[in-house]
Amino acid sequence: MTVVIQMLINGILLGSVYALLGVGMSMIFGIVRLTNLAHGEFIIIGAYGSTLLSLALGVDPILTLVITVPVMFIAGVLIQTVLINRVMLQGSEPALLVTFGLSIILKDALLLLFTADARHANVPYSTATIRLPAGLHIAVLDLVVFAISLATILILTLFLRYTYMGRAIRATSDDTAAASLMGVSVRRTYGIAMGIAMATAAVAGLGVGMRWTFYPSSGGDYLLIAFGVVVIGGMGSIPGTLVAGLIFGLAQVIGGANYGMLISYLLLILMLAVRPQGLFSK
Amino acid sequence: MKIPVLLDRKKTKAASSGGQVRVLDGVPMLAACVAIAAALYIFGLTGVLSSNIQRYLLKIFLYCTLSSMWNLMSGYTGMTSLGQQTYIGLAGYSLTVMTATYAMSYWVGFLVGAVISTIVSLILAIILFRMRGMYFAVATWVVAEALRTFFTSWKFVKKGAGMTVAARPYPSTSTIYIIALTLCIIALAVVYFLLKSRVGLGLTAMRDDPDAASSVGVDIFKSKLLVYVVSAIFTALAGGIFYLNKGSIYPAGGFGISWTVSMVFIVIIGGIGTMGGPVLGSILYVIFEEQLAKLPGGWTNIVLGLIAILVILFLPDGILGTLQKKLRFEILSQKRFSGE
Repeated sequence: MTVVIQMLINGILLGSVYALLGVGMSMIFGIVRLTNLAHGEFIIIGAYGSTLLSLALGVDPILTLVITVPVMFIAGVLIQTVLINRVMLQGSEPALLVTFGLSIILKDALLLLFTADARHANVPYSTATIRLPAGLHIAVLDLVVFAISLATILILTLFLRYTYMGRAIRATSDDTAAASLMGVSVRRTYGIAMGIAMATAAVAGLGVGMRWTFYPSSGGDYLLIAFGVVVIGGMGSIPGTLVAGLIFGLAQVIGGANYGMLISYLLLILMLAVRPQGLFSK
Repeated sequence: MKIPVLLDRKKTKAASSGGQVRVLDGVPMLAACVAIAAALYIFGLTGVLSSNIQRYLLKIFLYCTLSSMWNLMSGYTGMTSLGQQTYIGLAGYSLTVMTATYAMSYWVGFLVGAVISTIVSLILAIILFRMRGMYFAVATWVVAEALRTFFTSWKFVKKGAGMTVAARPYPSTSTIYIIALTLCIIALAVVYFLLKSRVGLGLTAMRDDPDAASSVGVDIFKSKLLVYVVSAIFTALAGGIFYLNKGSIYPAGGFGISWTVSMVFIVIIGGIGTMGGPVLGSILYVIFEEQLAKLPGGWTNIVLGLIAILVILFLPDGILGTLQKKLRFEILSQKRFSGE
């Protein structure tokens, strides 16, 4: 019994990070209707940003978000308005291939800049654990990342629900033509949406860097997790993203190091085949 | 979910260009193709070419096969796959297992690879054909990743450490060159005749508007299945020959996404949805690859990615596609003109 509860706890903690990995991709999928194959590299850029800044400035990696989030937001707006909006006029397939091109460029640029060495964001509490009754335990690090993930997703939900920009984004997602008639600039909204997606990638990158070691080539793995979360949760649905993250987290914990990823992939293929619109699709 | 219709732009352009399109087709073109093929055979058999040049050429033949098949799927049928490495990996491992574990000839390896790929593609088709557009694209990739993960922890194929091809006697570069050339010629002929046939017409109709095509009697499922399985078989054969030339395989290479990177790059710079595009693209790709390898470490994919993005932005029809539109000609068109 203890083992099962422990697995459940670990699965939930892991699932929150997975949800965070997927939430940016889900937004782009739902709003811009683009499969962003560079999202994994965006996450890894965030991981490098936090890790290296915290080393250089000698601060806790969490504080580096003050720099990485705005920088990546601006980068996202630029990528969308300068590059992707232009190709999207040609249709969804060229846009997909452009993000694919971006992904391979960024992967090798990271390799050139930072070499193939494994990196990790160090925190003083990396080995601390909280002991619970009945032999259960929680790693402090996992709990911190869990809190960051939930907070980010909560802020995003509130932003989309209560601000003018958030409403404009949701309106564009629901009906692009009607939103544009009501005076919403669709191209600008797409730019902001990509900016927000990249900002969440910055936070997700921090989570990745704190929990795991990463390499320039790790982007692909996280992209597939993000994509899995999007597909299982239903695109553009934040509650769906949370549940899907949890399902993926549990699959990973149950499958262990050897079969965790395989089980996740099989689950994803099954899901795509049976209910391609996702569990929580509108 | 709305998926923007990819080909709107192409359709209107083709309609507005109006005037006569010269098709380089028929007897003169056929004669030229036969002459080139014969020359390549003679050069290979007489040993005029140095083994280095043979190696470049055999790479071009294999990439040409792979990208023609990807072009058939994406450019003509609208199935953009990011997971053709599934069949390359399966074929590469079939070759190594047959030659190394069972000490059979490499021909048996190719055959087993092709048979396994046929079976796998038939099973996958049932699942994958339920999806369209980006779902299809990413699902194919997930399948390849799942196989990579599985092979990395499968003891029979020595897990992540990889295996070595053990053909006895090991074929020379000229032998592999001839095999690759033959495969490439057959692949191009299959693509050409498939597109010329009734099936091909149905396929392009289906790519442009699946609902309209099915309403006038195109059996979408059967046509897609045919293309998917044919692509899988040729991709597997090319993969097998590639690993016979390379000599060893490991899961991250065999099932790696970089195979798709190459195919996408070749088709985009050559011209998606043209017969000659993949041929031109493969030649350019192998030249680029060899030249970029001379650069100080790791710039290859950065430059290739930049070229691909610039081509999508400024020459959306690729090099050959743009030339064909500007100069109003087509090499081996699958279109049927009123004169025919």
